[in-house]
Amino acid sequence: MADWDELAEALADYTVSCNENQRLRKMQRDWSRTLHFICSDTGKTFSMMVERGEILTTPEGHAGTPDIVVTTDSETFCDMFWGDLNPVQKYLRGEIMVKGSQEDVMRLDAISYVIWPDT
Amino acid sequence: MTGDADTAHPTAMALRRSVGTATATATSAGLAFAAIDYLGVVSILAYAPGATAAVAIFIGGVLVLLVSGIFSELNGLYPTAAGIRLYLGRAVGDRTALAITFTYMTTVVLVIAADAFLIGAAVRHVLGEPPVLAYLWIAVLLGVATTANLFGIRLAGWVQTVVTYTVLTGTAVLSIVAMFHVGGAFRHPFDLFGKGSFSGIQAIAFALFLYAAFEWVTTTAEEARTPPVITRALFIAPVLIWIVSSLFALSLAHLVPFARVHGSAYPQLLLGQAALGTVGELWMLALTVLTALNTFNGGFLVASRFIYAAAREGNLPRQFARLNLRAVPWLAVTSLAVASAVVAAIVFATGQWLLLVAVGATIEAGIYAIASLCLVVLRRRETRERPFRLVAGRPLAAFGVVLFSVLFVATGFSDPKNAHHFSVGPISVIVILGALSTAYVLLVVPKLRAAAAARAAAARPRRRPPRPPGPAQEPAQAPGSAHRSTPEAATGEQIS
Repeated sequence: MADWDELAEALADYTVSCNENQRLRKMQRDWSRTLHFICSDTGKTFSMMVERGEILTTPEGHAGTPDIVVTTDSETFCDMFWGDLNPVQKYLRGEIMVKGSQEDVMRLDAISYVIWPDT
Repeated sequence: MTGDADTAHPTAMALRRSVGTATATATSAGLAFAAIDYLGVVSILAYAPGATAAVAIFIGGVLVLLVSGIFSELNGLYPTAAGIRLYLGRAVGDRTALAITFTYMTTVVLVIAADAFLIGAAVRHVLGEPPVLAYLWIAVLLGVATTANLFGIRLAGWVQTVVTYTVLTGTAVLSIVAMFHVGGAFRHPFDLFGKGSFSGIQAIAFALFLYAAFEWVTTTAEEARTPPVITRALFIAPVLIWIVSSLFALSLAHLVPFARVHGSAYPQLLLGQAALGTVGELWMLALTVLTALNTFNGGFLVASRFIYAAAREGNLPRQFARLNLRAVPWLAVTSLAVASAVVAAIVFATGQWLLLVAVGATIEAGIYAIASLCLVVLRRRETRERPFRLVAGRPLAAFGVVLFSVLFVATGFSDPKNAHHFSVGPISVIVILGALSTAYVLLVVPKLRAAAAARAAAARPRRRPPRPPGPAQEPAQAPGSAHRSTPEAATGEQIS
């Protein structure tokens, strides 16, 4: 199980990777969403505010009304935000559960794909 | 059937934008009710003449309610767009699931191609152009649909809902007008086996085709307000399709001689013309074009995202996951368009549009049989609670396996052009598609997965920093945790 410090470290790296990737920023320029995350093993929750493709904040707890809700265990979240796993594979095995439109689910995966195309 | 109350799902997370029952029902009905359904009615009439077609459509609808129950329970177990892969994989194994899913997805290409062809033929007919120009219209339609998809243009949910209810209401109203136009008694009201002992079964099998793809609404499970929304849609949409299709079949059989509609790619225009003259013809043309919005929007979206996910998973060449600057998998969309254009060209050249109906009906019956089998298996393997549980689910699902297998054979060897003959055409197409999918899964997919694993291992080391050793950390490490595991395990690669 990963604690909040590890998640926060992973989220910080993910935020920098996303925000500094110009192709991703261009691709996501029309994508403004509030994401909620739930760690199924620890019960920890956190949020992510995305405005026109830029990740603004990743606070602890659930803030605002979500467009997307992602649930998985804390280890998977950490590996996902570090780019060490392919989210689609976990999703297709039912290990990552998502609530949200199909388009948003794909956009979320597209972020990982654009930043880490070889994962 | 139980467990259909919103209050049973207090933990359901409220999304800013979520899908309610009306939209989900419209999605389900809109995916099912395409222009090819008008030809589906003609195929039923080939086996069940006159008003008997309505009897076949009713029986088909009752059987589809069993399918609704089966998909509701499966969707409750796996409420995700990837649901079909999940429950197939858990029930029959990953490779078989992949081969079946690839075959199933080819129906999307068939439906897009069929709709492009039928709409092209209808537009050409109304404009009085030479037959060869139909293919120009097909190319234009597919070109517009592809361009819209590549630019990320999608129908808003409410537009899709309005379009679907307009098409259904418009078809029903014209059909009612057509029936009042003539009046009199219905012909052959209960002559289900009038064209031979097997004809009634084949008529019912083709009736299933009218409802085909209604179950794709389960791919929107992740945006449903609550799990019962999808269940309600799965039960309401077939009723709407039953009403509209029955009215259309009754009026068509009543007003237009079967010999005329049997050889036509646009029976709905002939009905419109017979009922209200040019106004009726334009009315039905408008509805036919509207069906394309749903077919192209839903079809391209479902299939291209499936291709994207398959490529990301390592089951298709990774090029299919490439995204353009609007986050659209452009190669997947373009490939779908090209495949649809080729199929439409073949249909255009051969005039075998009723074969498309037969192939679609056969695949759908097969999928229903497989879904029933999944429920039989998963009732044993998955004991956890689900929001919907089909009453007497195991015996009903076992009955579904047998029933839909019979209907699979009935349509697989049918010849809608001549109801008194059998044909190996539909089953041959499916055997070829199935064999290609299976060969691909057995021969190509392992190589793709191995290459993906090698690429992931060689590309870079794990980025996540190792956790400092500490007495409190070790016992907390979850079994099977990706942390400190091999790169293959961390990336989730499993080479089968």
